[in-house]
Amino acid sequence: MTISSYMKNQHRECDTHFAKSEEEAAKSNWEAAIAAFETFADVTLTHFKREEEELFPTFEEITGNAMGPTRVMRFEHEQVKGLIGKMAHALDDQDKDAYLSLSESMMILLQQHNMKEEQMLYAMCENLIPPELKEKTLEAMKQIVL
Amino acid sequence: MFSQQGLSLEQAPPIFVVLRFFFAGSLFGVMAGIALLFYREEIFDPSSVAAVTFTHILTLGVMLSFMFGALFQMLPVIAGVVLSTPVQKANFVQYPMIVGTLMLLWAFNFDAQSWIYAVAALLLGLSILYASGIMLQALIKLPNHSASSKGMTAALAALSIAVLLALYLVLIRGGYLDGSHYLAAKEAHYSLALFGWIGVLIISISFQVIEMFYVTPPYPPAASRTLAFVILGLLVLFGILAFVYPQLRPLKESLMALLLIVYALITLRRLSQRKRPITDATVWFWRIGMGSLVLSMLMLVARQFVSTEWIVGTSAIFYAAFALSVVFAMFYKIVPFLTWFHLNSQGYFAAPMMHEVIHPKIAKRHLWIHLATLVCLLLSQAFAPLTLVAALLMIFSFGQMSYLILHARRVYIKTQKEGERFDMGA
Ligand SMILES: [Fe+2]
Ligand SMILES: [Fe+2]
Repeated sequence: MTISSYMKNQHRECDTHFAKSEEEAAKSNWEAAIAAFETFADVTLTHFKREEEELFPTFEEITGNAMGPTRVMRFEHEQVKGLIGKMAHALDDQDKDAYLSLSESMMILLQQHNMKEEQMLYAMCENLIPPELKEKTLEAMKQIVL
Repeated sequence: MFSQQGLSLEQAPPIFVVLRFFFAGSLFGVMAGIALLFYREEIFDPSSVAAVTFTHILTLGVMLSFMFGALFQMLPVIAGVVLSTPVQKANFVQYPMIVGTLMLLWAFNFDAQSWIYAVAALLLGLSILYASGIMLQALIKLPNHSASSKGMTAALAALSIAVLLALYLVLIRGGYLDGSHYLAAKEAHYSLALFGWIGVLIISISFQVIEMFYVTPPYPPAASRTLAFVILGLLVLFGILAFVYPQLRPLKESLMALLLIVYALITLRRLSQRKRPITDATVWFWRIGMGSLVLSMLMLVARQFVSTEWIVGTSAIFYAAFALSVVFAMFYKIVPFLTWFHLNSQGYFAAPMMHEVIHPKIAKRHLWIHLATLVCLLLSQAFAPLTLVAALLMIFSFGQMSYLILHARRVYIKTQKEGERFDMGA
């Protein structure tokens, strides 16, 4: 398994839970929506942690650049975290319009973030990080839990 | 660490750049409706002044404005292309473009002196070539290309050639050059502008946004890697051949039809495979757009066998419906998202949600109006008074879009003035 495919799979997994939550909320099945949303939040935050604690530092070390792409990615993670909080509130209040509106922003934000990672950052990682270090980083990421 | 408010925002141009392009595009849309009120069914005669004027209001006024607005926004965020001093660049592009377009429309209609053509050509030529030049330059320097950024490069190249051909045509019309290659150049100008620029740009944008907005599987790489450059290559090849073999035109049009139909069918398939089951108006705008593209291309092929005015007209109406549907689909995502995104990136806690900027109900209503406009235009070829209804619907929907842009701007400014703001840590 490559870093790239490992991480991409997690992106897809996040999408699945997110779509499920959105669909349930649209039907006002609040319990199911909350359950799916919690899984989405867990998977997403764990994924972010893997990036921020293992992948990004490795990338920054190899490229000697902590202000470039990883800085954008970290900043967008913060935005996603902010939205997760707001969406949790909307779910608590069973406010469908607010939830669906926030989920729209979330989806676009997250998709463009993931695409940038998949098309640029992960691709650069695959090309720049030496094989052994890649193996080590991947193993370290697998160990991370929330 | 985020002393400059986070990189996403540093990369993106100020929201007003995008909104202003969209606003100009919407006003030209209103103008297209008004023009239709005056010309009525005259626009269906391809050789008429009415048709040329109406086409250029839609392409130069509406489409180019929306597409430049979208590119100024998308190049930095999606393709990682950074344009320095975007506001200044947008000014250099937009004002001459607007004045040039208006002068050209005037020249088409009022038997103008040749200097009006010349000034219009100069303004349009310089501004469009300048815009595509800076974007191409930034794109070519990209270290990591996606299918989308490659496609945009092809589209901008097509635009540049289309503009050069247009300049040549204007010089002939103004009496500065002899017109021996007028027809071949005109034909190449149309195909490069319609298929190479509008078609390829929409194709490259969809490689990104269909997946991004609707969470679909990516386009098959065989299509996303090749489509844009194959179309551009064929257009250039046939454009050159046409000076010697004008009879090759049906072959060119059939190949275009084939490629564009393949693209439309893949897109429709992707939309049906989306992970998000929720269907909003923009999904339907895409579907109508793709359906219209297929029908337009079928008519284009049919025209090789039975060339009636009706078939030619219907093909053109469906092509316009294709382009405008995609513009509308993008508009209802981009404007609310950008308003939210920019404010949120600046740390405003009360950044308005997307629904507060433009509610999905408005997009849904526009969808019905759009469909009604399309049906009216199609039927008006048989029953001319319906052009009047189509014109009024166009004026209404573009008028409403202009209003929505002003509303987004107001919400944005209000939040910046009154909103509570997090210090993102300097
Ligand atoms: Fe990330
Ligand atoms: Fe990621």
